[in-house]
Amino acid sequence: MTMRRRTFLGLAGVASLAGCGYRSPDAEYKQPAGAVPKQYAGRTRVVFWSSYGGTNGKAVDKLVAKFNESQTDVYVEAQFQGSYDDVAQKIAAGLIARQTPDLAVLSDVTWERFFLNDALEPLNGYFTDGFGPAVFHSKLFNEYVVKGQSWCVPFARSTPILYYNRDVFAKAGLPDRAPRTWSELRSWGATLAKVDANGRPMRTLALAKVDGDWQFQGNVWQFGGAYSKGLDVTIDEDGAVAAGEFQRQLIHIDGHGYMASSPMTDFAGGLVAMCQDSTGGLKSAMSKAKFKVGAGFIPSEVAAGLATGGGGIGMFRNASAERKQAAAKFLEFLATPENSAWWTTQSGYLPVVDKAREDPALKKLVADEPNYGVAIAQLVNARPQDAIRLYGRNANVAIYTGLQQIYADNADPKKVFASVARRLEAIADEVSRLYESKVL
Amino acid sequence: MKVRAVQYVVLLGVAAIFLGPLYWLISAAVKQPAEIYQWPPVWWPDDFTWGNFKLAWDAAPFDRFFVNSTVITVAGTILKVANAVLTAYAFAYLRFPFKKVLFLLILGAMMVPGHVTLLPNYLTVASLGWINTYAGLIIPGIGSAFATFLMRQHFLTLPGEVTDAAAVDGAGHLRTLWRVVLPMSRPMLVTVVVITAVEEWNNFVWPLIVTNTAEMRTLPVGLLILKDEEGLANWGTIMAGTLLVLAPMLLIFLFAQRYIVGGITQGALKG
Amino acid sequence: MTVVDLPARAHPDEVRQPPGTDERRRRTRREYGLFALLVAPNLLVIAVFAYWPIVYNAWLSLTDWNMIAARPTFVGLDNYVNTLTDPAFHKTLGVTVAFTGLIVAGSLVIGLALAVLFNQPLKGRGLVRTISFAPHILSGAAVATIWLFVFDPGYGLMRALIEPFGAEPPDWMNNSDWALPGLVIVYLWKNVGFTALIYLAGLQGLPKELDEAAAIDGAGTWTRFRAIKLPLLAPISFFLLITTVIGTFQAFDVIAVMTGGGPGDATTTLSWSIYNEGFQAFNAGRAATLSIIMFAILLVVTTIQARVMERRVHYR
Repeated sequence: MTMRRRTFLGLAGVASLAGCGYRSPDAEYKQPAGAVPKQYAGRTRVVFWSSYGGTNGKAVDKLVAKFNESQTDVYVEAQFQGSYDDVAQKIAAGLIARQTPDLAVLSDVTWERFFLNDALEPLNGYFTDGFGPAVFHSKLFNEYVVKGQSWCVPFARSTPILYYNRDVFAKAGLPDRAPRTWSELRSWGATLAKVDANGRPMRTLALAKVDGDWQFQGNVWQFGGAYSKGLDVTIDEDGAVAAGEFQRQLIHIDGHGYMASSPMTDFAGGLVAMCQDSTGGLKSAMSKAKFKVGAGFIPSEVAAGLATGGGGIGMFRNASAERKQAAAKFLEFLATPENSAWWTTQSGYLPVVDKAREDPALKKLVADEPNYGVAIAQLVNARPQDAIRLYGRNANVAIYTGLQQIYADNADPKKVFASVARRLEAIADEVSRLYESKVL
Repeated sequence: MKVRAVQYVVLLGVAAIFLGPLYWLISAAVKQPAEIYQWPPVWWPDDFTWGNFKLAWDAAPFDRFFVNSTVITVAGTILKVANAVLTAYAFAYLRFPFKKVLFLLILGAMMVPGHVTLLPNYLTVASLGWINTYAGLIIPGIGSAFATFLMRQHFLTLPGEVTDAAAVDGAGHLRTLWRVVLPMSRPMLVTVVVITAVEEWNNFVWPLIVTNTAEMRTLPVGLLILKDEEGLANWGTIMAGTLLVLAPMLLIFLFAQRYIVGGITQGALKG
Repeated sequence: MTVVDLPARAHPDEVRQPPGTDERRRRTRREYGLFALLVAPNLLVIAVFAYWPIVYNAWLSLTDWNMIAARPTFVGLDNYVNTLTDPAFHKTLGVTVAFTGLIVAGSLVIGLALAVLFNQPLKGRGLVRTISFAPHILSGAAVATIWLFVFDPGYGLMRALIEPFGAEPPDWMNNSDWALPGLVIVYLWKNVGFTALIYLAGLQGLPKELDEAAAIDGAGTWTRFRAIKLPLLAPISFFLLITTVIGTFQAFDVIAVMTGGGPGDATTTLSWSIYNEGFQAFNAGRAATLSIIMFAILLVVTTIQARVMERRVHYR
């Protein structure tokens, strides 16, 4: 044991000699490179890493520009970093490099690791009258509260909604609404198949190849199961297996479902009648699709249940006090009802600020286009996600990799989930100590 | 000649296999979206458009990617080839204790796969403060083993009298290198430059990891970003972007294919 | 690659025999200095960015570190034990071997066939050779993107070609049975022109006399090819074998763009899992362990290569 320890210290010494030191939670780190433009000279620069591209990215840029115009002390620079996973990866890498953004978008499954490893700044100390527990939607706000302390604030929060092609439904003679249960959805398959989709029978539902574990979290609840209870893995038990079996049959027995690289792309392209996808894609779906897009609640089966998802914004502990103060100003700006509502109208994400729902522009939008109201109404079904998906390192990948085997290979869900469960248990073991000391 | 005819058919088939995907790429890049998403497929774009290029350009800063790729390729190639030439010269013409061991050490670097170095090199570059900089993109790649080996082998085939005479003339080593050895090694030098430049231009995983803003990204990485940005994949735009990435190499290849083909063959057969 | 045949030729300085020993010593010192100056930059970069990573990986592989925690935790050989006994790792190795094997076999066989074709006196063969070689120099990421579109089940070239014959094209990249063959097709498309080119150069360099003599003796084309040309091409085949194995082993860009290791783990190769563990799962210890394993495997391959090459050189 002593020997082991000495060797270890020796090696650690060699490593740090070469300059590869590690993070110290309280050190002050530099920002990612960049400069403050001339017209904002003298302001505190805040770097904000975002994961929104395309339509939503442009909206983020506009919010940032508006903020920079609105005051004279802070300059926020938004840097698009790719997907949620990309952002998390770049932050981890940055921390090693002793470099940190001040704010970053963290997804429902990435913020926890930064929290568990002391990389996030607790936010309670920054709350003001216009920015704090009273302002945000309580369900969404509380997802980031652990033992009374806030670690992120909600921003681009979403739920999956069921998108359906209204034109195709009309052609097929189906009612103009989303199916109420999964059984009903399945029963519509044969009717939908009579509609032509580019020379092929229209398929009913596209299931996501990557990150499908998020939608499936809800599906598991809808079939009466759970990924885990606490960190005790239950994905190999009845409800979850039933959900997997339902999807397997839809794909491999009926031939009405299939796995798609991007269900939304196929849906908007008119290749498939329905998909369950984030409400955050609503605006871009409606602008790209050449048919009338319908949106409805995700079907239930034995129960209703829904996982919220999307991004919150976290602040990083290794930023300087000055930068943190400045960053909080930007968070406060985003939390005004007006800006929150505007972001919703531009993206389709949920209004995370309660008063945003009273915003006239948003109200008008919902009145004109009821699709924008679906996610808000559906929020009553939302529940906190199962702990293993949230806290287990890469648990989401283990789950969606298993789903791919069901979707692509017609693998038996019972067997697949049994092996996924083994993996998740290993993941749970790894995180249990931190989880028990910091979360429970 | 029945055999001949069959051979011609096969030859045509081969050409079609290699051109087909490229044609699919180029035609999609100039098709209207409606023609791309149409079944049965439109083989010949009826309604030419440059719109896809504009969309690609709007979605991601391709001009910036292009500049970065060029800077990295040019600087990286110059530094790497310079390293190769100088090292090879030293090993071919200068004395030094433990020369053999040193040479093996340099060659040994060829055996270290790029993937093995990713994580540690990221940490090293990070501690040098080079993340998201040209230095971070370029420097880790300028160590030269294979090119050094090729150059040295080539130098050794040069007639000894040439360098002897130059040395007797009192020309310094560097001058000998520049005036005598290099001009006599032009074909090998071209080979090395070409191989290096192609590698630098196409490099993917390192720039992916070491950059974190659009301003520093290179074309191949930019392509991935374009794919992400176009949340709802639009093949026309993505193909236009792909064409922007490929065009420079395709053009260079068209003009310099003789050197490239010759160079790579030589590189392989000498190796 | 014959490595250790250092110059037998006398060094110019030694031939010239400078006048005094002082002068000679000074000259030697200057020469050493110049050598060091010329070699140092290269050696430094290689030491820092090729050798240091091995040492560093070796150490990281003994730790558990999620890259966010303040520092790694020493875990001894746990990572190796866990990795080597993990069924997922065995699957990864299997995929890597299948992937590498298919590409190597495909490149060599198709490459040789193309070379033979290009060696016939056909009009336009030079052009086709050039066309088939072009993909070799193109960016892997871009090539992968093109093929994603070609394989697109809705609007891809493959559907356009296959469906008129009444067959339903697979959804290549979303089907575990087709994803790996799909990747193999892309790599072959990209690299077979290179193997063809090298083989062609080899074919053209073969001595004609043997072949002609055999033809006079009445040996058929196929027999001549099999009994004379193929053995003579063996060194080239070997060279291509090794370079393709090494290249394919490290294949990354096409996998990253096209499948991301999926569906399931159908296309998760060793190189993908190193990236995945390190930069997506934040599992530095596991990534380092996989790196060391990959390094060891390639070390064995290169050693075999060096042995065979040496023997070949000796017997010639």
